[in-house]
Amino acid sequence: MFQRYTCIEEGVEMGKSQVKNNIRKLRFNHDEMTQEQLAKKVGVTRQTIIAMESEKYAPSLELAFRIARIFSVPLEEVFYYTPEDE
Amino acid sequence: MSYQEKNITVSLFSHLLIGVYYLANLLPIIQSSELVAGRLYALWSIVIAVNIVVNIIASILTNILLTIVEAIRSRKYEDPQFIEDERDKLIGLKGIRSTYFTFSIGVLFSVFAFIYGQPPLMMISLIVLFSILAEIIGDVSKIYLYRRGG
Repeated sequence: MFQRYTCIEEGVEMGKSQVKNNIRKLRFNHDEMTQEQLAKKVGVTRQTIIAMESEKYAPSLELAFRIARIFSVPLEEVFYYTPEDE
Repeated sequence: MSYQEKNITVSLFSHLLIGVYYLANLLPIIQSSELVAGRLYALWSIVIAVNIVVNIIASILTNILLTIVEAIRSRKYEDPQFIEDERDKLIGLKGIRSTYFTFSIGVLFSVFAFIYGQPPLMMISLIVLFSILAEIIGDVSKIYLYRRGG
């Protein structure tokens, strides 16, 4: 009778995210780039970079591409997905 | 604490003050068992108008104060960059969802109070009360999400 709707939020989940990343390592390899510098380059706040590095926030696809572009690496080298059961 | 968090904290305090003011004026009216329409209309108008005005003023004042504090801290003036990124927007939307959810329950509760014999003035008083409560819950949930996701 009633249609069931499922609400999917665009890959963004608070708490521990299943999308892991190598941002900290990549920053270190890029002349020890600070979180503030990276934040300015990709147009977000430093708090968002902190949240991503501590894997509490999974960015949108657009932001993920922008970060990969800053480090001049493919997206898969920055972000990778680990399903819960693994 | 980010700019957005500070802004939300100021908003939370202003909503708390408005809520306390509203309750402090509403409870004596209810306890006297005489719901005088004139007094209630005046109270609702004051609370709704103050809510709007205080929110705008608080937002402007927070902006100015944060710019001054930042300039003093960095010892030079720079155009403040209070950017709102995708995470801020997401948290904002989740906060609004909490606000609407609380307000919906409040309206339902008020309507049931009316159905079970409370006068219409009481119903609207409850709706105004729940609107303030919903704003408070929205602010608290936003602060919680910022703490949890940052």
